[in-house]
Amino acid sequence: MEKSQESTTIEMGESSKLERKGKAPLLGSTPAIAAVVGHNKGGGKNKKGIAIVDLILRIAAVATSIGAAVGMGTAGETLPFFTQFFQFEAGYDDLPTFTFFVVAMSIVVGYLVLSIPFSIVCIARSHAVVPRLLLIIFDTAFVTLTTAAAGASAAIVYLAHNGNQDANWLAFCNQFGDFCQTTSGAVVAAFVTVVIFLLMVLLSAIALKRH
Amino acid sequence: MKAGAVELGHASKVTQRGVNRGMSILDLFLRIIAIIATLGSAIAMGTTNETLPFFTQFVRFRAKYSDLPTFTFFVVANAIVSAYLVLSLGMSIFHIMRSRAQASRIALIFFDAAMMALLTAGASASAAIVYLAHKGNTKTNWFPICQQYDSFCHRTSGSLVGSFIGIIFFILLVLLSALALSRR
Repeated sequence: MEKSQESTTIEMGESSKLERKGKAPLLGSTPAIAAVVGHNKGGGKNKKGIAIVDLILRIAAVATSIGAAVGMGTAGETLPFFTQFFQFEAGYDDLPTFTFFVVAMSIVVGYLVLSIPFSIVCIARSHAVVPRLLLIIFDTAFVTLTTAAAGASAAIVYLAHNGNQDANWLAFCNQFGDFCQTTSGAVVAAFVTVVIFLLMVLLSAIALKRH
Repeated sequence: MKAGAVELGHASKVTQRGVNRGMSILDLFLRIIAIIATLGSAIAMGTTNETLPFFTQFVRFRAKYSDLPTFTFFVVANAIVSAYLVLSLGMSIFHIMRSRAQASRIALIFFDAAMMALLTAGASASAAIVYLAHKGNTKTNWFPICQQYDSFCHRTSGSLVGSFIGIIFFILLVLLSALALSRR
C-alpha cells in the first residue's frame, strides 16, 4: 500500500518531485529506501522474464534465418532436357538479388548467434542498461537488413511467378517449378525472421523502462 | 551536508531533463525531414509517365509506375509511412512537453520500427526491380527496359534515394527514443 503511494507521488509532476527531494532528509529516509528497493525487486523480476522471452525469440530467429539462408543457397534445379549448347539450370547465383539475399541472411545468422551472450547477460543482470541499449540499436539495424533482403527477393519471386507484360519479362516459374517453390519458402522464412526481430525490439523497449 | 547533496541531485536532475528535452526536439526535427523525404519519394514515383515518341498501329509504348506492381507497392508504402509520420508529430510534441512519458515512448518505438520495416520492404523491392531494369538478366531472358525508357528509369532510381534517407532517419529515431527511455 505504501509502495504504490510512493510511486504515485513521485510520478505526479515535476514541482512536487522537487518538493519531495527537499523534504526527504527531514522525514527520514529508511521507509523511502525500503519502498524503493522493494519496488525495484518487483521490476527486476519483470525484466528477467522479459529477457528470458527475448532469448527464446532470439533462438527461434536463428532457426528461421538459417532456414532462409540455407533454403535459398541450396535452391537449384536442372531441367531434364538440354540443347547442344547449354543446359537449363537455375541456381541462386543466377540472380544478383538472390545472391544478396543469401549473403544478408548469413550476416543476420552470424549477428544473432553473437548476440545470444548479450541476451544472457541481460537475464543475469536485469538492471543493466548498456547491454539492452546495444541490443535494441543493433536489432533495429538488422531489421533493416533482413527486410531489405526479404523485400528485394520477394519482388523477384513475384516477377518469377507472374512475369510482366509491359516490360516483356517472362515468368520463369512455369519452367523451373521446384526452384520457384524453394525460393518462395526462403523469402517467407525471412519475413518471419523480420516479425520476430520486431517483437524483440518491442521487448527490449519495454525492458528499458525505468520503474 | 544533506542540503548540499540534495542541491547537487536537483542540479543533475534538471540537466538530465534538459538533455531529454533536447533529444525530443531532435526527434521532432528528424521526423519532419523524414516526412519530406518519404512524401517526395511517393510523389516522384507516382508521377512517372513516359511515352515513347513512336507507336505502332496496335500499341502505344508508355511506362508508368502502375505498370509494375512493385512500384505500386512502393508508392503505397511511402504514402502510408508519410501519413504515419505526420500523425506521430503530435506524439513527438507531447514528448517534448512531458519528458517523463514512458508507455507512449515504448509504443512510439514499436510503431517506428514497424513502419521502418514497411518502408524498407518497399524500397528494397523497388531497388531490385530498378536493378533489373538497368541490367536485365540474361539467364531469365529479362530485357533491361532502361535502354528504351530513359526518363522513367531516372525518375524511379531518384525516388529510391528519398526512401533510403527515410530509412536512415527512422533508425536514428528509434535510437533516440531508446536513449531517452533509458536515461532517467
